[in-house]
Amino acid sequence: MILELMIALTIGAGLFAVGLYGALSQTNLVMIIMGVELILAAALVNLVAFWRYLHPDEPAGQMFVLIIMAVMAVEMAVGFAIAISRFRSRGSVEMEEARELKG
Amino acid sequence: MTMLALTLLSPLLAGLALLALRRAPEMIALAGIGLGFVAALAQLAGIAGGETVQIILPGLPQMPLRLIATPLTAVFSILVATVAASVVLYAVGYMRGDAERPRFFGTLLLFVAAMQALVLAGDWITVLAAWELIGFASYLLIGFWHGRAGVASAATRAFVYTRSADLGLYVGIFVLIGWAGTSEISATLAISGTPALVAGLLLLIGAMGKSAQVPMQDWLQRAMAGPTPVSALLHSATLVAAGAILLIRAAPMLPGGALLAVGLVGGVTAVITGLIALGERDLKRLLAASTASQYGLMLVAIGAGAPIAALLHLIAHAAIKSALFLGAGVFQHDRNGTGLEILAGAGRARPGIFAGFAIAALALAGLPPMAAFFSKDAILAAALGSDAAPWLLPLALAGSVLTGAYMGRALNVLWAGAPGTATAPVPLLAAGMGVLVGLAAVLGFGFGALEEFLSVEVEKPGWIVPAMGLAVGLGGLALGWFVAPARLLGPLLAPSQNGFAIAGGMDALILRPSLAIAAACERLERALFDAVMAVGRINLSFGRAARSADTDAIDWAIFGFVRRTFALGDRARRLQSGFIHRELALTVIGIALIAAALLAAPLYS
Amino acid sequence: MSVQVIFLVFFGAAAVWFGIVVFRTHSMVRSALALLFSQTAIGAMFLVMQAEFLGVLQIMMMATEMSVMAIFMVMFMMDPGGMGAMDMTHQKRLSLWAGGIGLVAAVLLVWLPDWGPIALAVPSAQQQAEDLGRELLGRSMFIFQSAALTILTAMVAATMVAIVPNAEQRK
Repeated sequence: MILELMIALTIGAGLFAVGLYGALSQTNLVMIIMGVELILAAALVNLVAFWRYLHPDEPAGQMFVLIIMAVMAVEMAVGFAIAISRFRSRGSVEMEEARELKG
Repeated sequence: MTMLALTLLSPLLAGLALLALRRAPEMIALAGIGLGFVAALAQLAGIAGGETVQIILPGLPQMPLRLIATPLTAVFSILVATVAASVVLYAVGYMRGDAERPRFFGTLLLFVAAMQALVLAGDWITVLAAWELIGFASYLLIGFWHGRAGVASAATRAFVYTRSADLGLYVGIFVLIGWAGTSEISATLAISGTPALVAGLLLLIGAMGKSAQVPMQDWLQRAMAGPTPVSALLHSATLVAAGAILLIRAAPMLPGGALLAVGLVGGVTAVITGLIALGERDLKRLLAASTASQYGLMLVAIGAGAPIAALLHLIAHAAIKSALFLGAGVFQHDRNGTGLEILAGAGRARPGIFAGFAIAALALAGLPPMAAFFSKDAILAAALGSDAAPWLLPLALAGSVLTGAYMGRALNVLWAGAPGTATAPVPLLAAGMGVLVGLAAVLGFGFGALEEFLSVEVEKPGWIVPAMGLAVGLGGLALGWFVAPARLLGPLLAPSQNGFAIAGGMDALILRPSLAIAAACERLERALFDAVMAVGRINLSFGRAARSADTDAIDWAIFGFVRRTFALGDRARRLQSGFIHRELALTVIGIALIAAALLAAPLYS
Repeated sequence: MSVQVIFLVFFGAAAVWFGIVVFRTHSMVRSALALLFSQTAIGAMFLVMQAEFLGVLQIMMMATEMSVMAIFMVMFMMDPGGMGAMDMTHQKRLSLWAGGIGLVAAVLLVWLPDWGPIALAVPSAQQQAEDLGRELLGRSMFIFQSAALTILTAMVAATMVAIVPNAEQRK
């Protein structure tokens, strides 16, 4: 039982839970994106912990983190572009008013 | 051979053409009958030398149909042709104005064709077929005016009575064919012994039906409901002669016991029907009873062993009785009825017709030199000379007395009484009747030639028999003319007017049971029909149940399934709320499920 | 090891707490700033776990991103200052349940298995950077090329989405 690993993983779990709660409960698109940020950060924490305490010799662990970070940034950019577009066409980014895809 | 065929085919084709075309009935009828008469005459001349002509047609296996023209059958054939020609000539005038003339003449011609087939038959199958056909034609002709009350039931009775007697004919013929191995008549007549006795008695039963012998004499009187030409042709000279013809042709085969039975039946009939005739109150019914009586005398002759005497009397009677009927028809036309009260004095208004009637009546009573004198003497001689003389002779004599009695009565009624209004002349009727009256008068002189033609010997009687015959004839006439029938008959008046019905008569014994059976069969048929329809309805209800199972159950299930699918779809639509957060939540739930499935992999892999 | 544990616990708790603050506060700017601090704490955790390059990268990137996000907050929110104190949440119970179940499941997954012995030898930071560079230019080149393509596409798309309506409005 590796205490540090356990603690880091538990933190990661907590971050994940908070991020999930936020992504599901917020009405604003930007807030939802923030929740997703937190979830991704939790994944990053888990990854680094696994790298550090189980396979420190493997640079592939850090590689994974780098990739996730890069894609995170891009995802945020696209997300905000969509938010701008929506704001321009509707006047708000509230998810409560976004019913166009109703079946 | 052509003459033989023509004798049959001419009336047959004329009758069929008439029934098909329904046009010019008199022309076609006269043409058919005339041609048939000429053919019969030519045939008679053709076989004068004694040779026979045969036509063989394919029939049942090993039993071909034969038509044969021997001297005997040729004589019968010319008899039928002559009477038919005279009656058709008469009927042209009698049925004038009737709308159904084509049907009448057509059926009459078909009857003549069938009768010719019967007398010219060479094998028993032809006899059977022709026998049935003449019975059927008689039914159609008696019931010709079926719209009138009582006519249809009279025709039915006639048909049913004669048909029930035909059973004897059928069984007798089966015995003959079975025993002889062939259906040719001359071959079967060679058998002897017990089969001959049995066959003879059975043939007697068949003859009794057609010739209206006791106990089946009632149908002939009822048959008078038909038109008078029908009565003249069928019920005096041809159809009722069929029984006597049958027995005359079968006479060589009949053994002593059968002959005794024949003679007794004939004798009893002669007396009983003579009494009935005496008590009758209707002219045509009187003549009908008289016909039965005369045929009884013929059967006496056959039973006495002298079929030739029966043949002579048959020929004479044919001419006489037809003439009498034709005369009665003229009076019926005048007074519009045949009851003796109605016809009283009708003879005085038409002296010519009455003269002819009188000549025929006297001929029937047996006065010389007319035909029946010779034939009746022959019968009495035969009865005297036979083995059963103690039985046959008294019966024959009584029959002769009664003959004279009722004829005298008829003449009395027709002459005495008011003549009534003046009437129009009836040339055709008179012509037809005149031919037959003439024949009735002069046929007696031709009997010698006839005997020679047939190559038979009739023993010339001494003086006793002619004297007896004359005595009974004159005595009977006097009795009938001067004494009222009520006094003559005395206690027998009521039974005679009743037809001597015993235990309800043939009506109760034969007619009602057979009609009841027919009605029961009708009910059975109806019940079967209803049963079949019920089965059909059951099947239909199965079909309806299947259909309703299809529509209600299956369609309900299918459409219910459709409805439930739609409802499910409606509920599933709510998942597509369009809300991002809802879809996010669903995504999270989906991911959780997938993760759980992946994590539980060790459990199921 | 115990120092690492203490730091881990400290920064980890800070990260979680700031994460919760993100969603509890009514002010949008404070929300963004709280997220910034949370991400910074996570970067610090990376540093504690001796992944120096990653830690620094995290802190630098997140600082920039959160600032941008704060600007967007002010642009797009109805009430950026949070003065109205309106409840901007929906399906709260569902979210709480989801979060709770996620937490329990994750913790179970963390604490139940046996992770094996600890690895004691950690390469130096320099060595880590060198290895990372070799890894990047060697084995993971293909991944990064693909990621680069995707990133380029996403940039172009984002630009298109953000710009085009404006050009139409101008017409």
